[in-house]
Amino acid sequence: MRLHYLDNLRALAMLAGVLFHAALAYSPLIHPYWPPADRSQSQLVDIFAWFLHLFRMPLFFMIAGYFAAELIERRGMLGLMRNRARRILIPFAVLLVPIVMSLSWSTQWAAANVQHPSPVLQWVAQFSLQANPPQLPPSTSHLWFLYYLLWFYVLLWAMRSLLPETVWRLPERLPRWWICVAPMLLSPALASVVAPHPAPESFLPQFWAFAFFGSFFAFGTAVYRRRGWIDALSPIWLASIGVLLYGLWFALLRHATIDPSNPRAPWSLAILGAYISVLMTLACWVAGRRWLNAQSRVMRYLAGGSYWTYLLHLPLLFLAQYLLMDLSWHWSLKFAIAVFATLLLSYLSYELLIRRTELRRFVG
Amino acid sequence: MNSLNIPVIKRLIAKDWLLFQKQLAAHVLAGAFALCLLGLAKPWAFYLGSLLLIIVLVAASCFSISTSLVNERRDQTLAFVMSLPISPLDFYLSKLAGNLITFAVPFLVLAVGTIAVILFTPLPDGLVVYSMLLFGHILAAFCVSLSVAMAVESEGWNIFAMISSMVMINPFIMGLGQIESISAIARGPDIIFNAPVIAILAAQLVLSVALLCLTGWAHCRKTAFY
Amino acid sequence: MTAAFALTGIHKRYPQFALEDVTLNLLDGQIMGLVGVNGAGKTTLLRILTGLVRADRGTVQVLGLSMPDDQVAVKRDVGFASEDMRLYKSQTLRWHMDLIASIYPGWDEVYARDLLRRFDLKSEQTIAGFSHGQRVKALLLLCFARRPRLLLLDEPTTGLDPVARSEVLEVLSDVLRDDSRSVLFSSHNTHDVEQLADSISFLHRGRLIASQDKERFLDDWRRIVCHGAATPQWPEIAMARRNGSVLEIKVRGYSADMPERLIAQGLVVDSVDPMRLEDIFVTTVRAGAVA
Repeated sequence: MRLHYLDNLRALAMLAGVLFHAALAYSPLIHPYWPPADRSQSQLVDIFAWFLHLFRMPLFFMIAGYFAAELIERRGMLGLMRNRARRILIPFAVLLVPIVMSLSWSTQWAAANVQHPSPVLQWVAQFSLQANPPQLPPSTSHLWFLYYLLWFYVLLWAMRSLLPETVWRLPERLPRWWICVAPMLLSPALASVVAPHPAPESFLPQFWAFAFFGSFFAFGTAVYRRRGWIDALSPIWLASIGVLLYGLWFALLRHATIDPSNPRAPWSLAILGAYISVLMTLACWVAGRRWLNAQSRVMRYLAGGSYWTYLLHLPLLFLAQYLLMDLSWHWSLKFAIAVFATLLLSYLSYELLIRRTELRRFVG
Repeated sequence: MNSLNIPVIKRLIAKDWLLFQKQLAAHVLAGAFALCLLGLAKPWAFYLGSLLLIIVLVAASCFSISTSLVNERRDQTLAFVMSLPISPLDFYLSKLAGNLITFAVPFLVLAVGTIAVILFTPLPDGLVVYSMLLFGHILAAFCVSLSVAMAVESEGWNIFAMISSMVMINPFIMGLGQIESISAIARGPDIIFNAPVIAILAAQLVLSVALLCLTGWAHCRKTAFY
Repeated sequence: MTAAFALTGIHKRYPQFALEDVTLNLLDGQIMGLVGVNGAGKTTLLRILTGLVRADRGTVQVLGLSMPDDQVAVKRDVGFASEDMRLYKSQTLRWHMDLIASIYPGWDEVYARDLLRRFDLKSEQTIAGFSHGQRVKALLLLCFARRPRLLLLDEPTTGLDPVARSEVLEVLSDVLRDDSRSVLFSSHNTHDVEQLADSISFLHRGRLIASQDKERFLDDWRRIVCHGAATPQWPEIAMARRNGSVLEIKVRGYSADMPERLIAQGLVVDSVDPMRLEDIFVTTVRAGAVA
């Protein structure tokens, strides 16, 4: 039976990604590192964006793990691999180069033409003047999640091949209080990187990303086997504790000093971050089950186009924000216009290129 | 000449992989671990990671050959396979394709990864040529091991072929060091394919392809398949 | 009637052993028992028929096709089980069944399940846990359930305990009831051959020393016990053994006038009995002559 709430949740997690990336341009925290960082900023953006950042991708990976387990049960491991090759590997292989190239092109255009460039754009402009500008290593860009998903499917196969069934079914037998302890195990992963945790965009896989996102993926596969396991949890309680802890996390983040030569999150932030990730991911899951299980036409359409939108959104968003960069409007207006333009173009292209064509089998 | 029995060849490759699945899974995990070590971007982790990747590559190819060919004879399952509707050529191609793919995946990851590391770090780009010669040797060594496993029944000779062909990389590296025109490229910033480099690469490729063709030809002329 | 297989002038030389000038046919729908001691060349002959061994000389036609050139087409319709053929130890019988089913379109799953039950085999058990008898039964199951036109079975009952042996023989005789199927099975157990085969071939030291219809074969031989002083040296007497005045002779090419001819030699005939195949076989091998 198809669980509509998971489709809907996944779509919301994808679309939340568009909002998150759009908001980063107005975040004071990431201003020095984000190419389309704008002059107009707000602390409010930081508060919301980094909250979302802590559980958006964990939720996405947990749903992916759940669906992976379902696919294995329905079509076997080979069926899973075939399906994932079509839905993940091919879109990743085909879209990566054009997306990275268009991001690079728009950024270089902006570095040359924008009057009020961000620190990154200034840096790009400086480097482009050098005779032999240093080359950046190849990156997976915002498609890193596809790259990691591919890894997780391969690792899932490897684990299931190697470990006897009793071992890989162990997580299913764990008692419910386990979720109070589990985040502690995730905290070393977050403590090994800066806070807020970066996107693991390198082609070389990162231990911390395997451990952190991989745990959510594995948890998703275990939840498939014990579907009732988390249903009894209260989304209100989970979210309330999550929000409270986030308040603490954010306060600590503002006062944290991070050594730039060895950027690592303090343990306090890592532990809190891990708890917030787990609590909010579970809260979203259970809330989705309660309140998002209806299948409306609008939601179905949005969900249908969400994957394509997420794949496509970053080049469109960067371009829109570069174009808005010199305008002296309030950040909220720029944010709204950039998001609206990105979503409009993404869904328009979805309607014209994907929805009624064979391409929907890949990215629909 | 009858046409190839492609569906059965595919089944046999899948069968060999399935029999090899546990080792393959272990190699994949070790490979992922090695790549993560490289991802730590620390000198010690880089050294350890690349060493582990080479071990994975050699182990995966040797285990693959051993499981699919040497064990099949030792465990007397060869007669079972050959009683299926296949010709000796089908059998040879299934073993060749299965082993080549098992070898090619870690080989390509390692080769492409090495070249990317050379190109995107301050290492002299001329090292690309040098590493291509080393990868050429690994490819030729693999083809030697595969050919011996197809042609020679003795397990001892098979182990000898696997170990000696891979160990020969040491004298090969020393030999390359003696050729001044090649070591000069390796230290330089440009990727240059001069005559000695092209000659060695061509020799490695020709040797690999010729060995595999010769083995296939010999296999089809065998008089016993059990 | 066409031939299920036809071997003509087959030679195969090994350092220690040679198969020499074997010419043998099996008609469609016939069951042939191939009898011989260990090392007589039975397995080599079966391997030549399945393409596992290439003959040095001679022609091999199986199901109207030439071997080994058309071996792919031939092997689609041939089921071969041999005593030294092993299955993959790490895999279950079910896995083997699925592999065979995916290769042979004629795989009969219902029949396979029936055989599982009759052979008392567990399909989810790995082959490593199988006893010798279970392994043999598993191999036969994989052969039978693909419903081949020609079955080549090398020592199918060797080394089986009495229960397993009777299970196998029972299923085998069911299989043999199907007239469209031809079977060649080798054995050194002459009781099995006598029970199942339509025709019998004797192989000894790489040579075919007899190949005949079973009834005619058994009809041809007699054991005669008589007493008296004479010991006739006729060509049809394969063996004569004297114990005092009692003479036991074993005769091939027996004819009704034989007792009278013995009496004419001054012998008193006590009994004339038909012989069991085992006795015929042992006599033939000992006599070292053509049966």
